Amino acid sequence: MLFNTAHFFLFLAVVLALFYSSPRALRKYILLAASYFFYGSWNYRFIPLLLTLTAIDYTAGRWLEKVSPGPRRKAVLILSLCANLGFLGFFKFYNFLGSNLAWVLDKPADAFFLNIVLPLGISFHTFQSMSYVVDVYRGEQQAVRNPIDYALFICFFPQLVAGPIVRARNFFHDFFHWQPPSSEDVSRGVLLIGLGLTKKMAFADQFAKVANDYFKNVSGNPGWLTAWSGVVAFGMQIYFDFSGYTDMAIGMAKLLGFHFPVNFRRPYLAESITDFWRRWHISLSTWLRDYLYISLGGNRHGRWMTYRNLMLTMLLGGLWHGASWNFVIWGGYHGALLSLERFLRGERPVREGWNWLFPLKAILTFALVIIGWVFFRAADLPQSLQVLRAMFGGKPGHLLLANWHIELIVIALVLALAQEKLDWFERLLKAPMLAYASALALMFLCIEVFGVIDASIPFVYFQF
Amino acid sequence: MAIAPSPPLEATPVRKTRRIGLTLLIACLLLFGLDALLFRTHMYSSILEPDSSAGLLELILWREKRAQHTAGDNLVVTLGNSRMGYVPKVVDLRPRQTGYVVRTAGVAGSDPRAWYYMLRDLDPTARRYRAIVFGIDDYDDEDEAFHPDDDIRALHYCIARLRLGDAIEFAQSFHSREIQWEAFRGAVLKGIALQSDLQAFLSHPLKRIAYIRLCHQGWPDWTYNYVETSRNMAGLQIDWSTLTAMYPPGMTQEQKDTVRGWLLHEPNPQTGRLAHFLRTWLGRIAGRYRESRTKIIFVRLPRGPIPRPDYLVKKRSSSIRELASRPNVILVDEQFFDCLEHPELFKDALHLNRDGVERFSTMLADEVARVLGPPGERAAR
Repeated sequence: MLFNTAHFFLFLAVVLALFYSSPRALRKYILLAASYFFYGSWNYRFIPLLLTLTAIDYTAGRWLEKVSPGPRRKAVLILSLCANLGFLGFFKFYNFLGSNLAWVLDKPADAFFLNIVLPLGISFHTFQSMSYVVDVYRGEQQAVRNPIDYALFICFFPQLVAGPIVRARNFFHDFFHWQPPSSEDVSRGVLLIGLGLTKKMAFADQFAKVANDYFKNVSGNPGWLTAWSGVVAFGMQIYFDFSGYTDMAIGMAKLLGFHFPVNFRRPYLAESITDFWRRWHISLSTWLRDYLYISLGGNRHGRWMTYRNLMLTMLLGGLWHGASWNFVIWGGYHGALLSLERFLRGERPVREGWNWLFPLKAILTFALVIIGWVFFRAADLPQSLQVLRAMFGGKPGHLLLANWHIELIVIALVLALAQEKLDWFERLLKAPMLAYASALALMFLCIEVFGVIDASIPFVYFQF
Repeated sequence: MAIAPSPPLEATPVRKTRRIGLTLLIACLLLFGLDALLFRTHMYSSILEPDSSAGLLELILWREKRAQHTAGDNLVVTLGNSRMGYVPKVVDLRPRQTGYVVRTAGVAGSDPRAWYYMLRDLDPTARRYRAIVFGIDDYDDEDEAFHPDDDIRALHYCIARLRLGDAIEFAQSFHSREIQWEAFRGAVLKGIALQSDLQAFLSHPLKRIAYIRLCHQGWPDWTYNYVETSRNMAGLQIDWSTLTAMYPPGMTQEQKDTVRGWLLHEPNPQTGRLAHFLRTWLGRIAGRYRESRTKIIFVRLPRGPIPRPDYLVKKRSSSIRELASRPNVILVDEQFFDCLEHPELFKDALHLNRDGVERFSTMLADEVARVLGPPGERAAR
């Protein structure tokens, strides 16, 4: 059940109707049942896995609270983390490790191969669950008493399969002090759903067609202009796809009285890679910062340890996305860029605010990010290198993007700049009903004339 | 003691639901308004790509509406798909005139459903023409592998002609649920059906506008003076018992493909779908002209360079013959054009070549004049 299908909207309407027409005490059960139904509609066979992970971390949380600080407490934490990482590792990395082991042992590539189906959203809900256990261990979060409450935290359908990764303290604050959404929340929720849908159908899916065609046949599309346009198309696809999904998730949560964190803040306007990671997939980058980078020592042990920590964090962040050397390289590439920026910047804080150099910096950052996407999108390392070679040499080839694609990019850029400077989204929420409805109508019109309606293109991050 | 202002009251859930419902309703109405402004006015139909299905139909409609102003009272129009090879110029240059002005509004790839919506706007009063001549493949109904009732191209041909009130009826006229849904949403929100056209326009707006201007300046003459190819199918032989063909040397792959697709196919199960489709749409056209002065004339087009023998399939019905019982409907003798069914007169398995078209056009003009009788007094200006 993709977010951009009629089936999903029917499901959402039924959930909202049931949720608000039921007594408060029943509402969490409705959300829980709806969430498992949503997950089961993908592949019901993974529900026991989800339940197992939920049970493990619920129990770990309860134990951690009972056990006094010391080695036993640490052991509970390690057990829980091992269970989470064990499941994640098995489903996500077994074949990757197996193929590398086979290569090392000079055996056939499929010597250790198992036909494993990746459970949907395992990377997201595992990280969410792990952060809860760590927070309880650190004393930053009380263990949840009711397993139903905890199960809902893990499987809440708006963010179950592709985030944003919600911290336990935020979720349970909304959950235990639940208030019906205010009029502004409802307006915001509806507008975000509309915006997300537009991003996905009218922008992401159109760019996906170009990117998919290019990466399906890199050899048949020679030339640097061709390569750059194919990779830029993917850059646009992944941004609009993922931020569109997130907008819809946040919007749906708002309608149900939950407040999810912002996950994207116009990342392609970033003026450095550091700035990019403050704007891109914020819930993951802050997770990595809080639970990995800081745990590794952060920037507290000198310059070289900082670089090491940045590299390790980004390498693991890359690996989190998928089991392939391409993701490792993508993570390493960003780690190296972050370290280089840190080296050049020294101890000075990242500049806030724009100056006359902004366009140049933003274009350079965008170009660096786009180069990174090659590793993210290409099927394997040889194809990544093939695309990179094409991007930096040879004949121009042809532009894969039609003029109207470029017009879409310009519209998006203007809207992003306007949002950055004028915050039109917030203004729209406070505007009279007619202006608000007009904005929604324009989004619908955009879907009507640009939306990919017949082809079902899955969300990129569903594979993680 | 000062009294602190009370916080603004939060709306009740019912009011909130009503408010958001009202907002969504307004948004939807605005969407329909924007869609109508763009795609239901002349605004977008005037910039359709002339080479697209919709653009071609609009161009023909524009040309024939213009012709109505100068063609006098004895005006006849022919309708059909690309097989209806009527060429007005051939008839106009003949020394003996019939007294009727025959125009062609046929659109390649179109079907009776598209003809109905086209005619509705071409002849809003249902009185402009003395006759409308339809070129039909066969008077008997034969279901083939391709089902015109599920041909979504009809949406694209008719898109600029469809009104909001047509949406349900138009959608229901398709067979499968998926196509019905596609037709319905396209008829309601035309922007969906016109996506590709709009995107192409946005890519090169000036080029499109220049091309449309060029078409408006020259298209009536280009089509009037169009000369069909003299390529033919001479030497083609078909063994109907094995459904195989012997092709003469020099025949192109394209020609062979049409022979395979049009003539050599195995018979299909006769389900009655085509009969239902023809009864519906030709019936609606006939119904529109029931009390009109306009005659509806059906002709069976030359079937092919070597027609398929009748014994290959048992045809169960003849919707065209059923229509003949209606007032104002005339069927031209089924065998009237059989004399043109020769490989020398066809450019492929479906279409007549230059010689074929010339003979067909004069024969058709003469037969229509014969069927209609002497023309009225108001001749063409």
